Amino acid sequence: MSLKIAIVGCGKIADAHVEEIRKIPSAQLCAVCDLEPIMAEQLAVRYAVPRWYSDVAKMLDAEKPDVLHITTPPQSHLSLTRQAVAAGCHIFLEKPVALRHCDAEAVIASVADAGRKLAVNYWPRFEAPALELRRLYETGVLGKPVHVESSIGYDLGGEFGLALQRDPEHWVHRLPGKLFQNVLDHVLNKITPFLDDDHPFIQAIAWRGETGPGAAAGSELLDELRVIIRGEQTSAYATFSAHARPVGQTLRVYGTKNTAFVDYAARTVVLERKQTFPSALGRLFPPFLVSKDYLRQGMKNVSSFSHARFHFFDGMRRLLTEFYSSIEKDSPPPISYAEILRVSAMMEQIFEQVYPEVRA
Amino acid sequence: MKVLVTGAGGFLGTQVVARLLAHGYTDIRCFLRDPGKAERLLALTESYPGAHLELCYGNLRSKSGCAMAVAGVSLVIHLVAGMKGAPAELFADSVVVSRNLLEALEARDDIPITETRVVLVSSFGVYGVVPLGRGARIDETTPLEEHPELRDPYSHSKLRQEQLFWEHQRKDGFELVVLRPGVIYGPGGGAFSSRVGLQIGPVFFHLGGSNLLPLSFVVNCAEAIVLAAGHPDSAGQVYNVHDDGLPTASRYLREYKRRVKRIRSLRLPYFATRLLARCLQAYHRRSQGQLPAILTPYKVAAAWGGNRFSNAKLHALGWRQLVSTPDAMAQTFDYLRQQNAKQ
Repeated sequence: MSLKIAIVGCGKIADAHVEEIRKIPSAQLCAVCDLEPIMAEQLAVRYAVPRWYSDVAKMLDAEKPDVLHITTPPQSHLSLTRQAVAAGCHIFLEKPVALRHCDAEAVIASVADAGRKLAVNYWPRFEAPALELRRLYETGVLGKPVHVESSIGYDLGGEFGLALQRDPEHWVHRLPGKLFQNVLDHVLNKITPFLDDDHPFIQAIAWRGETGPGAAAGSELLDELRVIIRGEQTSAYATFSAHARPVGQTLRVYGTKNTAFVDYAARTVVLERKQTFPSALGRLFPPFLVSKDYLRQGMKNVSSFSHARFHFFDGMRRLLTEFYSSIEKDSPPPISYAEILRVSAMMEQIFEQVYPEVRA
Repeated sequence: MKVLVTGAGGFLGTQVVARLLAHGYTDIRCFLRDPGKAERLLALTESYPGAHLELCYGNLRSKSGCAMAVAGVSLVIHLVAGMKGAPAELFADSVVVSRNLLEALEARDDIPITETRVVLVSSFGVYGVVPLGRGARIDETTPLEEHPELRDPYSHSKLRQEQLFWEHQRKDGFELVVLRPGVIYGPGGGAFSSRVGLQIGPVFFHLGGSNLLPLSFVVNCAEAIVLAAGHPDSAGQVYNVHDDGLPTASRYLREYKRRVKRIRSLRLPYFATRLLARCLQAYHRRSQGQLPAILTPYKVAAAWGGNRFSNAKLHALGWRQLVSTPDAMAQTFDYLRQQNAKQ
C-alpha cells in the first residue's frame, strides 16, 4: 500500500520535495496547495501532479493525505500542523520548525497528542558522509566527543539571497532570527547528537560583514554569526558566514581517540588519527594517510554517482524513506522530538543574544 | 495622460522611458524596485524640461505596491518579469506580480478599467515552434506553446503571464496590446542569448549555427513598445518585435570574438545537439535527475531548430528601426569590450 502525500507551500524548496517524493516507490504525491493559486498551478503543471488547491482545508478534505509536507514559511507551521493532524495527517516539516521555541513545543505537542508522527527536514544529517560519521561515533572510533565545530556558508548573491535582499517584505525579514533562523537548524542539528545537555551555556555574537561578494548595499541584515556552546561533557562552535568562500558546510568532531572532519559539499569524511610512529616519522606519514582517506572517499562518490545515488538532496530521500517507513511500521520517527526541541531552544537563545528585541 | 512603466529602472525600462519622453509623453510614473537605478532615469529629464517623471519605489509582489503604482494612470506599460532564478521565483516575479497589478487596476475607482490601456511585453518564447519543424516562419498567427512544461521555466512563466493578461482582458474589457520581442540586446545587456549557445565551464558551446537570431536592439524595442502603446489601431493586437537585417548566430559569435574578446567555443551541429539531448534526457530519467535535463530534444528543437521571423505587422503599424543592426551590434560590442576591460 502506498502513502498518499500532499504538499502545502509551492515555493522554491517544494521542487526538491516533489523530486524526492517521486523517487520513493511507497509514496504517491496526490496534490499540492498554495494560498497563491498561480504558485500551486505552476508546481502541479511542471511536475504533472494530479491536482492542485489554494485552500488547504479543501485539499485535506478532498485528498485525505496520509502525510502532509509543510513547505510554507515558518510563520504558518503551527496552525497548518494543527489543522493537518486534526485531519489525520502525519507531518513532514521544513525547517525552521516555528517562529519561537514555544511554538515549536506546540507543534510537537499537537502531533503527539493526535497520535501522529513528525519529521523536520534535517536532510544533511542523512547524507552519506553524515551516516559514515555516525558509524564512526557509534562504533567508538572517535571515542567520547570533546568538541564539535559546525560551520555553514551562505551566498547572499545566490537565488534565494538575492530574492530576500530585493524584497523588504520577504518572510525571512519577519523571522525573529532573520536570515540566521532560516539556516541555523542545519548548523545546530549536527552538533546536538554529540551534546545532549538540555541547557548548555551559549554565547553568540553577530554582525554585518562589510566586504566580500555577499555584501549588499543598503541592507541591514546581520550575516556573520559565531556561537560558543558548552555542555557538561562537550563544547562546540557554530559558525554562519555569508562572506567566507567557498560556501560550504563542514563539521569537525574532536574525540578522545580520533577526530573526524566531514565536508558536506564534497561529501567526504576524513579521520585525523593519533600518530603511532615516533619522532619525525610521526610527522611524515599523516598527509599520506589523509590523502588515502580522500582517495577512498572520492572513489566512493564515483561509485555512488555511477549508481545514481549522488543527487543533491539524497539525504532528503533517505530521511523521507525512513520517515515513511516509521509511519508504515509504527516505529519511532527518524529524528527524536527531544532533539528537534533542543535545536529549537538553542536557536531561540542565540536569537535573544544577537537580536535583543527577541528577548523583549 | 499619466503613464505607468513597471520595471522602469531595468535594461529595457530606461529606454522605454526615454522613448516615451521622445514621443512627447510628459507625465510618467516610473515604478522601480531599486532606488540605485533612479539616477539614469532622472538624467533623461534634462533633455525634456517640461516632462514630469514620478519615481515610485516598491515591489509589485505586494498588493499595496501595486495599488500605489496604478493610482491615476490610464496607460500601463508592464515590463516586469522574472529573468533568472528558480522556477518558483520566475512565476512569482512574472505571473503573481502581473496578477497583483491587474487586480489593482480592477480595484481602483479613479479611472474605469475599460478606459485603461495595458501594454504587456511578452516574449518570442511563448510560441509553440516545435511542431512546426525547422525553418518555419514565425509571425503573430503562430500558435502558442501547448507544452510549456517541456520548455525552459522562463518561457513557461512568460506564456502563463500572457495568458493571464488575455484572461483578465476578456473579463474586464480593458485595451490590451501585447508585444513579443525576440532577443533584446544592447549596452547594459548580456553578451549571449541561449539562441547563440551555452557557456558550460570554460567552453562556449555554439549551438545556434546558421540560425537567424531574432535580435531586437533595446532602443528599437523600446520604440516599438511606445509606438504600439500609443497607436489607436493596436488595441487587442499582438506584435512581434525584432530588427531588420538579422544576423545568424554564427555571425554574431564571430563578431563578438573579433570585437570583444576571444573565447573558446565549440560548434555543435544541430543533429549532434539533438543526439546529445537525447542521451542527457535518457540519463536524466534513468538516474532520476542526478544531472539536470538542461538539454532535451524538445528544448533543443525550440531553441536551436532554426526559424524565420516576421516583423511585417510591426512595420505596418509604422515602426521604423531607429538604430541599424550593424550600428546596434557595434554599440553593443563596444559596451561589452569596455565591460570586459574593466573586469
